[in-house]
Amino acid sequence: MLKKEIIYRNPLVKLGYEQEDILLNGGLGAVMAHAGVGKTALLVQVALNMMIREESVLHVSLQDAVSKVDLWYHEMFHNIAASFTEAEIQEYWDKIQPYRLIMTFRVESFSVPTLEERMTDLLQQNIFKPHTVIIDGLRFDQAGRGQLVLLKELAQKYAMRVWFTVHIHRHEPPAENGLPVSFLHVVDLFDVIVQLDAKGDEVYIKALKGQSSDARQHSLLLDPATMLIQEGK
Amino acid sequence: MQMNDVKIRNIGISAHIDSGKTTLTERILFYTKRIHAIHDVKGKDGVGATMDSMELEKERGITIASAATYCKWNDYEINIIDTPGHVDFTIEVERSLRVLDGAVLVLCAVGGVQSQSITVDLQMKRYKVPCIAFINKCDRSGANPFRVIDQLRSKLGHNALAMQIPIGLETNLEGVVDLVGMQALYFDGDNGEIIRTEEIPPELLAEAKSRREELIDAASMFSDELTEAILEGTEITPDMIYAAVRKGTLKREITPVYMGSAYKNKAVQPMLDGVNYLLPCPSEVENVALDMENNEEPVVLENDPDKPIVALAFKLEDGKYGQLTYIRVYQGTVSKGSTIINVRSGKKVKIGRVVRMHADQMEEVEELKSGYIGALFGVECSSGDTFVSAGINLTMTSMYVPKPVISLAISPRDNKSQMAMSKALNRFSKEDPTFKTYVDQETNETIIEGMGELHLDIYVERMRREYGADVETGNPRVAYRETITQRADFNYTHKKQTGGAGQFGRIAGYIEPVADSEFIFDNQIVGGAIPTQYIPACEKGFRQSMEKGPKLEFPITGVRVVINDGSSHPVDSSDMAFQAAARGAFREAYLRAKPVVHEPIMKVVVETPPEFQGAVMGLLNQRRGMIVGSQDEGTMCVVESQVPLAEMFGFSTVLRSSTQGKAQFTMEFAQYRLVPQSIAEKIALEVAQNKKTAA
Repeated sequence: MLKKEIIYRNPLVKLGYEQEDILLNGGLGAVMAHAGVGKTALLVQVALNMMIREESVLHVSLQDAVSKVDLWYHEMFHNIAASFTEAEIQEYWDKIQPYRLIMTFRVESFSVPTLEERMTDLLQQNIFKPHTVIIDGLRFDQAGRGQLVLLKELAQKYAMRVWFTVHIHRHEPPAENGLPVSFLHVVDLFDVIVQLDAKGDEVYIKALKGQSSDARQHSLLLDPATMLIQEGK
Repeated sequence: MQMNDVKIRNIGISAHIDSGKTTLTERILFYTKRIHAIHDVKGKDGVGATMDSMELEKERGITIASAATYCKWNDYEINIIDTPGHVDFTIEVERSLRVLDGAVLVLCAVGGVQSQSITVDLQMKRYKVPCIAFINKCDRSGANPFRVIDQLRSKLGHNALAMQIPIGLETNLEGVVDLVGMQALYFDGDNGEIIRTEEIPPELLAEAKSRREELIDAASMFSDELTEAILEGTEITPDMIYAAVRKGTLKREITPVYMGSAYKNKAVQPMLDGVNYLLPCPSEVENVALDMENNEEPVVLENDPDKPIVALAFKLEDGKYGQLTYIRVYQGTVSKGSTIINVRSGKKVKIGRVVRMHADQMEEVEELKSGYIGALFGVECSSGDTFVSAGINLTMTSMYVPKPVISLAISPRDNKSQMAMSKALNRFSKEDPTFKTYVDQETNETIIEGMGELHLDIYVERMRREYGADVETGNPRVAYRETITQRADFNYTHKKQTGGAGQFGRIAGYIEPVADSEFIFDNQIVGGAIPTQYIPACEKGFRQSMEKGPKLEFPITGVRVVINDGSSHPVDSSDMAFQAAARGAFREAYLRAKPVVHEPIMKVVVETPPEFQGAVMGLLNQRRGMIVGSQDEGTMCVVESQVPLAEMFGFSTVLRSSTQGKAQFTMEFAQYRLVPQSIAEKIALEVAQNKKTAA
């Protein structure tokens, strides 16, 4: 019952993407927004959706400790399953938690070879095989194209989908196509781009790339209280 | 005795195992002239540090039981509780935090904020203990106090502020720059007892200025006077800075950070100044007791020596002086010859001798005033008992006591050991609420229960050494639990009417799983199908059944019993008959309710150099562990996982051999979780085998 409800709430499909995974094997996706708007919250919801569908998610954070990332998942899952009892939530959480593994790196020590080495440790010992990877906190203004190309290759090699958070700086004027300038050098590597846009008290979610041209794009919002996605008016 | 409450500090020294807190305490005692020679933990001289008074602690190089002591530093009286650093002894840490007003959080300059520091920090938060931090081992290779400050901020969420910067690091550590007084401090003499004050070395001046600015900026949030001085550009005095930092510290919104090396005798004294200047005195801390006569309404205690006595026994020790009860006096004055009442038992106790303890030596005093920590002789009580004056009925808030997760059968080898063992068990269970003991009715074995393998190990060792009890131990046993997963109906008649006094009782209803509670009994009988006087007997019968599952014999939890029908006999029905009927009904329904076994899952955190991360994850995975995450910490990497306790026996040996001894781990209880089917079958087999052996 809980499972159905969470799948039902899976949000991004409504932005006009055709399949539940949004990304194909080897695909890269980006969620871009200013600081504090809800990039991590959105990707944690995407991850929870995968976990509920029993697909493994590797959450790589370059900014937060494991406990903080874990807290994000707990909070979001509690919000999603708010109508259930604490014990039911706990039971369900115990069931889906093995589908998630958190890895945190310091920004300065993160590199694609290190990530691959850690992943190989997991794969070789049959501990964890990620279906989707979330990379939260990569500095696109500092990461060269080379690093993103390597990540794309890694995604293809292991048949994974990789989602990134992209921080848009407030002082940075956007390029003509509306994308942040610091992102332009790698934009072609991405299959899907979603933007969070804060207007007044509301945060709108827009698909910028990868959505089907035929599908109707719903207006989606992030509820500022729960950070859950809801349909706009 | 010092009367001025403003100059009393009750502090604890808490930290991760091996971060050097006992060494630090040893230096504090030396500088405050409580001891006249320094002995190191695991010292070559074989004496051991003063605070590690138990023989076993000296041998293992760890602190087990917190020893209490007091000392004087610049007219301030400081009561210190040295606390154990291993998670297995957390109850000791919790108890000491309960009675303390402030704490020094010791961190290793190399290891930084480790998992145990996080546990200790959580405990400090629970008891709202303000703290200052001391980053120790700055002389070690790889020391980086500012990385530790960053970790204090990022991992523990502290607003950590450096009060000093080091002059040199690792082997070049010479002293510290005091950012408040803006001077360089060096520590001369054989034991660093001579403090030499000099100008700040020019190469450190710029950094010192910028760090001082950070300090003042953060402190100004708590002082208008300081903010004004900053805005008007007038002189900022050390007193202004200390007053502001103190305010923030007492609110737990600032954690002032001192640094040095206790082992190399560097910069311990400024940290003691920090204790005096920045940690609270007893009257600045609000202590709340519960009024037993007024529905446990909280009552704020006044730190007034003339008020009626309220004191908490927070530790018992059975040492060479007989039984010693450590107490903290919250209100009133406990004096020699006076009479106090133990709130739990209601017994009057006449106080014989009152002492202040300095590790295992003592000093007799006439009285202990409110705010003080000391010890009483010859008082019969348990740890956690509250003592009051006649006429009041207050109890200090009960301490959180976790349930034991592991048990062990022990048996004495001879008669002499039997006596010694029971004496020891009696003492240990009084001293430590997480340590429990009972006799298994079926096997007649004595079972001890505790919080981990090491916890029980230490007690067995103590039994041997301190009480001369030669005991044999069985294999550790995990505290499994059973529960049901679906509803099952019952309709059971207990009938024995074949001569003599008859027995008759019929109970019908159902059992179903309930998640939030251990046991619920719901009586839905209408029309007197079971007479009201037999309902408690029915409940009793069901409760008895919960103690041991019919199949695997583990305690059952999470069951709601509903009775909605039944019948009785005017002559043959009795309490006994309905109890038996309830037990029969439960047995009948239980197996149809699809029982499952739950096992304790431990949070296991391993700190390892990154090159062994894969191996560590493999080890945890082999033990049915679920890896929650791995955290890159530069020189170390932390792997967090959840592993069934049943799989953790002997883990420390395997971990050591797989990581060249470079990894360490901590383990604490996390939750109960369903045992996978294959393992449940194995457990069932084991239980059956044990039964056979016992028979």
